Amino acid sequence: MIARNLLEEGPKIVLAAGLRSPWVRAGGAFRYEDAGHLGAHVARELIARTGIDPAEIDEVIAGSVGPPHDQANIGRVIGLRAGVPQSVPARTVARNCASGIEAVTSAIANIRAGFGDTYLAVGVEVMSGYPLIMGHRLTGYFEGLMKARTPMQKIGAALRFRPSMLKPRVALIEGLTDPVSGMIMGKTAERLAKDWGLTRDQCDGFAMRSHERALEAQKSGRLDREILPHLAQRAKPGARAVDADDSVRADQSMERLGKLRPYFEKPDGIVTVGNSCGITDGAAALMVTTEKRAQELGLTPLARIRSFAWSGCEPERMGLGPVYSSAGALDAAGCSLADMGTVEVNEAFAAQVLACARAFETQSWAQKHLGRDALGELDLHRTNVNGGAIALGHPVGATGARLLLTAAHELQAGDHELALATLCIGGGQGGAVVLERSA
Amino acid sequence: METYGLPFPENAPDPGACVRIERPEAGLAVVVLDPPHRSLAVLDAPLIRDLEAAVTELENTHGLDGIVFAGAEPLKFAAGADVDAIESITSREALFEIVMQVHALFGRIAKLRPRTVAAVGGPVPGGAFELSLSCDFIVAADDKKTKIGLPETMLGIIPGWGGTHRLPRRIGLPAATQAILTGRLYPARSALKLGMIDRMTQPERLLAVASKIALGHETPKRKERGWKRWAVDRNPLAVGLIMRKSREMVLSKTRGNYPAPLRAIDLLAESLTTSVEAGARKEAEAIADLGPSSVCKALISIFHASEEAKKLGRKTEDFTPRRIQRAGVLGAGVMGAGIASSFADRGVGTRLFDLASGPLDTALHNHRKEIAKRLKRRRLQRHEALAASDRLDTTREMIGFGNADLIIEAVAERLDVKQSVFQQLAEQVSPECILATNTSSLSVTEIAAGVPHPERVVGMHFFNPVKKMPLVEIVLGEQTSREVALSTAALAVRLGKTPVLVKDVAGFLVNRLLGPYLDEAVRLFAAGVSPRRIDHLMLDFGMPMGPLRLLDEVGLDIADHASASLHAAYGVRMEPCTDLDAMRSPDRLGRKTGRGFYVYPKSKGRKKQRETLATDLSQFQASQDGDRMSDDDIVDRLVLSMLNEGVRALEEQVVESATELDLATVFGMGFAPFHGGLLHYADRMGAKALVSKLERIADAADVSGRAGGREKFTPAARLQEMARNGARFFE
Repeated sequence: MIARNLLEEGPKIVLAAGLRSPWVRAGGAFRYEDAGHLGAHVARELIARTGIDPAEIDEVIAGSVGPPHDQANIGRVIGLRAGVPQSVPARTVARNCASGIEAVTSAIANIRAGFGDTYLAVGVEVMSGYPLIMGHRLTGYFEGLMKARTPMQKIGAALRFRPSMLKPRVALIEGLTDPVSGMIMGKTAERLAKDWGLTRDQCDGFAMRSHERALEAQKSGRLDREILPHLAQRAKPGARAVDADDSVRADQSMERLGKLRPYFEKPDGIVTVGNSCGITDGAAALMVTTEKRAQELGLTPLARIRSFAWSGCEPERMGLGPVYSSAGALDAAGCSLADMGTVEVNEAFAAQVLACARAFETQSWAQKHLGRDALGELDLHRTNVNGGAIALGHPVGATGARLLLTAAHELQAGDHELALATLCIGGGQGGAVVLERSA
Repeated sequence: METYGLPFPENAPDPGACVRIERPEAGLAVVVLDPPHRSLAVLDAPLIRDLEAAVTELENTHGLDGIVFAGAEPLKFAAGADVDAIESITSREALFEIVMQVHALFGRIAKLRPRTVAAVGGPVPGGAFELSLSCDFIVAADDKKTKIGLPETMLGIIPGWGGTHRLPRRIGLPAATQAILTGRLYPARSALKLGMIDRMTQPERLLAVASKIALGHETPKRKERGWKRWAVDRNPLAVGLIMRKSREMVLSKTRGNYPAPLRAIDLLAESLTTSVEAGARKEAEAIADLGPSSVCKALISIFHASEEAKKLGRKTEDFTPRRIQRAGVLGAGVMGAGIASSFADRGVGTRLFDLASGPLDTALHNHRKEIAKRLKRRRLQRHEALAASDRLDTTREMIGFGNADLIIEAVAERLDVKQSVFQQLAEQVSPECILATNTSSLSVTEIAAGVPHPERVVGMHFFNPVKKMPLVEIVLGEQTSREVALSTAALAVRLGKTPVLVKDVAGFLVNRLLGPYLDEAVRLFAAGVSPRRIDHLMLDFGMPMGPLRLLDEVGLDIADHASASLHAAYGVRMEPCTDLDAMRSPDRLGRKTGRGFYVYPKSKGRKKQRETLATDLSQFQASQDGDRMSDDDIVDRLVLSMLNEGVRALEEQVVESATELDLATVFGMGFAPFHGGLLHYADRMGAKALVSKLERIADAADVSGRAGGREKFTPAARLQEMARNGARFFE
């Protein structure tokens, strides 16, 4: 576990400003979108709105799980396309689903180590762009064709073709499977459901509430403050810019959720596509700087960062990551779960969030795994008040940045003092950040 | 010293200074065109003199295997013939002699025994390309700056140093015809594809590759036309057909006003059956005929004027234009969107503001569509296309303009609206940020009133459609600083436009002249002249569009608004004609509503349907008597209404010179280029004749009888004075 209180000694760190694109269902409006283009649009607009001279930025850090193959260091692509001068360095960081937060904590670590004080942190993921990969057999076949010299060799090589060679490898599925435990993420949620005796109804009910809250937030305009409308690349003539998260279902119902078949453990499992997060495209950008610098730049920060923590756990039960990391972040911040005015827990799966809620309050679990007393009840009324990934979607590399952005806005909107943003991470990790009202 | 009849420039260097022969290795000679008196070599008298001496030396040098002709730098070869000198020659015989002499020189280059290679790059227009065509091989630098072609017909002459004969031999008749008639300058890649050049290489390797070819270590494969050579180029039927089609195309475009393309077609038709030597006489005759003609002089004078205008805002000893890297555009209507897209295309990071999201989305769509088109045509590379697309952002809130170096507004044409957006913006931008207005009918001075630091408020008047119209009027309000105006002009040049500095008077220059002209067209129409006749006569005169068709394009409501503001500013002589009030209705405002003088059918799919005259126009004509007017009278009324106002504008020094006025009329309203602009046309008519014509029109019953008619056509004071002492606008 790595945890750190950021109020003791050293400069105080703030989220000076933030913005995100709408979260758009993969294969939909952003089907032909390019991660560099999407990320750069959000970053460019954030720079324009803050009025910061981009030359003042010390580094651009982007979090992304699967950057496009032609933009391995997508941070650099985004920096340059956003108009950040060539002299400003940029890098890309990854911590699976927490990559967006990783960009922020990397920035914090750098500032605390004395490397500059103004960072542009971006989280970006265009899951629509995940490719189908040619299998080894097809690759081998093409190699054979290329190496053949004489006509006879060529014919021989050509004849070695089998239709089964065409079966592609799906980057999305392989990417969502943990190679150490061999489990695809949905199966880890089923694991938790069985551990904690969760029912299908409980999960569907949680999913239903996520949609209801998201819909309510959209109607009230609470999400508009963080969303930058985006006109996708290759959008059809006449198409309008997307200005809201498009996976929220106004017509969602328990009945419809109940009809879905389990996806990962057929036929008896409880995790369905309805009570899991969707595959999504999106990007979010945050200006991370010190309180002093923000003042110099004339910016009113969204929130101060009080502490953060990264923790590890069993890959098979990666969904409980938030409990481990929250314990660390809360301890470091010197406060309790009950002190949190608002909580953002990423909804990878309804079963996973519900399992976390149980683990938070279960004394025996806490003593066994955390070696301490239980953290207390996770008040679901104060958790994900604007809905979560089940309704909004989960562009893996970008989500972390959104959790911070949404939590920071909610501090002000809900007039809270403290907020917790936390998520589970494929491979068995958890990340948590405690935010507090600045001024 | 032989002068070749071509006048020497004043700063001509001593013989031998313009061309040097280098011998980098055995068997190789490199002829370098590097005149000390020019930054880019021009085929002027001293250069031709020295080139001939060099060729003579090469003819007498033994043991040479190859010769390379090169410029001073890989991207500086030569810029064609000395246009100034040719313009100054009025004698037919002298021109003929000059062409023949250079022909002879190029003929000797073609006959040189060693392999000859032209190593070209940068602009390679006209004479420079013809020199290259005389070599055995042409190698070009693969660079954006490389542009190769024969643009002579654009200047009213023909490629006379072998171009009409050597180019079709090289690339075939159809492609050569197209290249010569369009005058297009081809990028290196397209030139290679067409066979205009033989090889392409990086600029740094240009000389090395050319030398290798000259020494015979490499022989580029000439693009062969194969069977087409026999089926097309040598087939009299095919040649006849191509030429007939070309002639039809030229005539439909030029309405017979431009003789050069037609002469070029004649020469091309015989080019493949005539030897280059025999063709020389014909080319020389064509140049001798065309060169002294008024069309050629007019086109060259416009060329000069536009080159001069592009120097506006260039860095000088006591002025450095501001670097405009980020700009804001307010208002995403047709103009605002077009301006924003042009900015983004040319490397300016642009933020487009509008209250509504619809126009912003449309602006982005159109911007990306155009970029995609250029990407498809390979005018752009993918990364350049991405960057150009990235450079346009949109916003519905007036925020985020803090970093802008220039803001241009194209919001509603209302003084209070414009003043308020500038005042709002002034709070968030730096005091140095230039505030430009694209207004066409309001005063820049008034818009600037109340804005902190009014010296940075300037007019930047684009014309519609922004991407196509080449002119930008840079309007100086009373307080506008010259530094701001020149920096704005420099930006216009960067956008590929031609800027003209104008005073802040109603309508500025172009709209002030268009006002009386369009008004006169409406009056003629109302008096019964058939609308078709009005438009056709002006098309024949050389305007790109008839006045009634132009009114449709502008919009009847906009035109009405504009003439009202002209009337308010200039008084009775701009009294607008009210006869159109009956025709103007919300669903009949011209092209944008699908109906005006013409009916514009909705284009179905890809097929574009042509507009046709509306059939119900006669009900708006007060009488039918007008149609008895002669063609000349109609043209005179239209052109002179504009001309008289133009002279008044010059008297008031709305622009600094007659040259700028002419440039603005040609680039801003498409005034017949072959006339050389409005005042060149006036000179050709003669002030005396103009004054008597104007007086006659002013006395005509229908003109003197209407409000402001007499004032409109009373000859301007300067014109009367010129008539008295026989002066001209141009010497």
